[in-house]
Amino acid sequence: MTFAIEMTGVTKRFGAVVANRNVSFGVRQGEIHALVGENGAGKTTLMNVLFGLVQPDEGTIRINGQTVVMDSPRRAIALGLGMVHQHFKLVPSLTVAENIFLGMEIVRGGLIDRKAQSEKTRQISAEFGLKVDPDRRVSELSVGIEQRVEILKVLARGAKIVILDEPTAVLTPQESRELFRILRRFADAGMTVIFISHHLSEVMEVSDTVTVLRDGAVVGTRPTRELNEDELVRMMVGRNVNFDRRPRKAISGRTVIELKEICARDARGVLALRDVNLTVRSGEIVGIVGVDGNGQTELAEVIAGLRAPSHGEIAVNGITIAESHPRAMREAGLAHVPADRLARGVDASASISANILMGRQYAQPWAGRGLIRWGRVREFARGLIKRFDIRARNEKTLVKTLSGGNMQKVVVAREFSRETPFLLVDQPTRGVDIGAMERIHDEIMLKRDQGAAILLISVQIDEVLALADRILVMFAGRISGEVDPEKTTEDEIGLLMAGGAERPRAAA
Amino acid sequence: MTLPSDNKPAPDALKTQGMPQWAEQLIGQAIAVGISIIGGAVIILLVGESPLHVFATLLRGAFGSWERTAGSLLQATPIIIAGVAACVALRGGLFNIGVEGQLYMGGFAAAWVGFSFALPAGLHVLVAMAAAIVAGALWIALPAFFRARFGTNEVVSTILSNYVAVLITSYLTISVFKRPGGWSETEPIAPTAYLPQISDVSRLNIGLFIGIALAIGLHLFLTRTSAGYSVSAMGTNVKFAEYGGVSIRRNILVILLCSGAVGGLAGGVETLGVHHRFMEGFAPGFGFDGVIAALLANGSPIGVIGTALFFGALRAGSLLMEVETNASREVITVFQAFIILCVSAQILIRRRRDSTQGERRWKF
Repeated sequence: MTFAIEMTGVTKRFGAVVANRNVSFGVRQGEIHALVGENGAGKTTLMNVLFGLVQPDEGTIRINGQTVVMDSPRRAIALGLGMVHQHFKLVPSLTVAENIFLGMEIVRGGLIDRKAQSEKTRQISAEFGLKVDPDRRVSELSVGIEQRVEILKVLARGAKIVILDEPTAVLTPQESRELFRILRRFADAGMTVIFISHHLSEVMEVSDTVTVLRDGAVVGTRPTRELNEDELVRMMVGRNVNFDRRPRKAISGRTVIELKEICARDARGVLALRDVNLTVRSGEIVGIVGVDGNGQTELAEVIAGLRAPSHGEIAVNGITIAESHPRAMREAGLAHVPADRLARGVDASASISANILMGRQYAQPWAGRGLIRWGRVREFARGLIKRFDIRARNEKTLVKTLSGGNMQKVVVAREFSRETPFLLVDQPTRGVDIGAMERIHDEIMLKRDQGAAILLISVQIDEVLALADRILVMFAGRISGEVDPEKTTEDEIGLLMAGGAERPRAAA
Repeated sequence: MTLPSDNKPAPDALKTQGMPQWAEQLIGQAIAVGISIIGGAVIILLVGESPLHVFATLLRGAFGSWERTAGSLLQATPIIIAGVAACVALRGGLFNIGVEGQLYMGGFAAAWVGFSFALPAGLHVLVAMAAAIVAGALWIALPAFFRARFGTNEVVSTILSNYVAVLITSYLTISVFKRPGGWSETEPIAPTAYLPQISDVSRLNIGLFIGIALAIGLHLFLTRTSAGYSVSAMGTNVKFAEYGGVSIRRNILVILLCSGAVGGLAGGVETLGVHHRFMEGFAPGFGFDGVIAALLANGSPIGVIGTALFFGALRAGSLLMEVETNASREVITVFQAFIILCVSAQILIRRRRDSTQGERRWKF
């Protein structure tokens, strides 16, 4: 049987770093092939090589048996490849159809034929069972639908081989399942799917074949049915990882933070939080789950002092916070791991020690009399690099040169090393490999057992299930339910996330 | 369907890692200057002159003798101070392009104190410089307030305030404080308000040392102090600074006021040290040159000393160039235009490279 894709001996170096080491990798036509590995294992580079975004130093690529030189994405598209990136590249102000035909507009008499574009979009979406409204603006769509538009873009360009980079990172369990159904349909129609993922349960569920990468090299390619999750984890990291519920002591702490009837508007002025009440006690982890865009972002921003509530109040240790400002919250005892580490969590162009300093630049012993004591800051940073196992040459290493997982460890190290009674932890392990994930989970549990009050916001339900003492589900700006992580299931949570009895609003 | 450049890693991104950042930047500035020289040479060829002859004359005019070197330093002095003013804003992530206007207001305020009051030597010059500082700060106060309070784009508001400053000082000079019988200039200032000269050969004065001290001071402030750390964090990632508890609005106001204050001082030094009166159009383009010097130095105050000296030498050398060759002084303007183009192109390239690096680093 011929391979739809066959990569042989691919090596790609970036300076001293070898991203791909003699990788040989074959994908049969009509299969769903999962590409798994830790952060920095070389998955994305390999796919960028395949898609012509990066030129390999060595190695050959064959598409349907023909050796090709993949010198540009244009060539890849011409050969029937399509790539759905992790970060969507859609124009929010344009409609679905306009986005799909961007750059290949259907023209009649020198003008764009919008009607024909919409019609064609409808046709493709019906053919593959990807329901969208061609005339809706992308800015009005949910993330799951945006992803469908991305997939439609690829299909409209005639792709027979579809590459998806971490497609489920932003989806709810229901949306993910819907995506898997679509992918299966592609495979049944003879198309080939390559699927990059961190989530092993998904890989087991959806793929036919798995290729595991570690340190830029292929560990093995195996049929999925011959594998189980434990084996997969061992192949990825060379050891077992425990995703089970963390053991814990019973709690009876006092209330540390309390939100009373908080309402807040989002960036567009739409009411995004409606009468949110919640408390977090000392020694307790409260988990918040919900479909993206149901108020979690605004909730985190209000608590961090980055967004002023339009109504309601926040009290820390019984004292009401008068002014909504990050410094006021930090002085009241907040440590905060923000959801988007690159945008907010780090100064990527600065060193690790300069990043560790943020929030401490006025505090003893790192500063005194208005001057920064860089010697102490660096020493402190060295200690944190060791304690949090940050993989970097030294404390002067620029944060932008670190992998995503290590960048996140810098953020976690900075915030968790503060002696604060309250932690707001937002997506602590998004895009982070299993080793770093475990490390971060350990630190969260340690903080809990030391008596910190922790609010954990995460799109990863298994993470919240493993860590939280109580789980609050958000829907449409409200807390729509509370569940006991010891007794609940992913399905029960998923149902609450979709609004329970109410109709999910995500449908196009 | 996809933007390839968004995902394509810069192949040399890691290779240059071994090189210190300042060295990498220096190469960039050298390229900018190199391209400008080539562009200038083409223009000179077009007017039928030999570029080599023109450049040699330019060099001789700038550094041919002690007097000429002093002349270059004299021209560089206000550019250094104006450049530091621009750096203050740049490093906080803001763009004060109104240094020219602050310089005019500062220059006028200093002259006014100089000719209106009789004060003891020493004190007089200090009061006059303080007046320049206050005038510069006041002149940026409105744009600064609007930027901090309403997010009004400070680039536009500070540019516009330049014209107002030039015209107001011109009005005050011609219609209110004109020296009887003189040209469009004010009364001379009292000798007690003179900035001390360094030597008798030229009008080079201690303003040069003030500029260098300010540059070093700003460098130390940014790298060593808590407040300076907060300011540079704002400049590199304002969301990160906000998240870390830095008061963004208050800092925007303070940074712009300080930038304007230094801009005002640049004008004060020029009137108190060189002209000893205020003249209409007394400092053509020093403020703008300062902004360009700061951009070319990529916001580094130490770098500004170098780039300002370069521009000062160009100005001084162009005098001899105009006398001895057929090339006019405008060649220098063409030069600077090329530098601006190169510098802004580099900013774009650097931005793009940084962002792709970030994205690529997200994971391999």
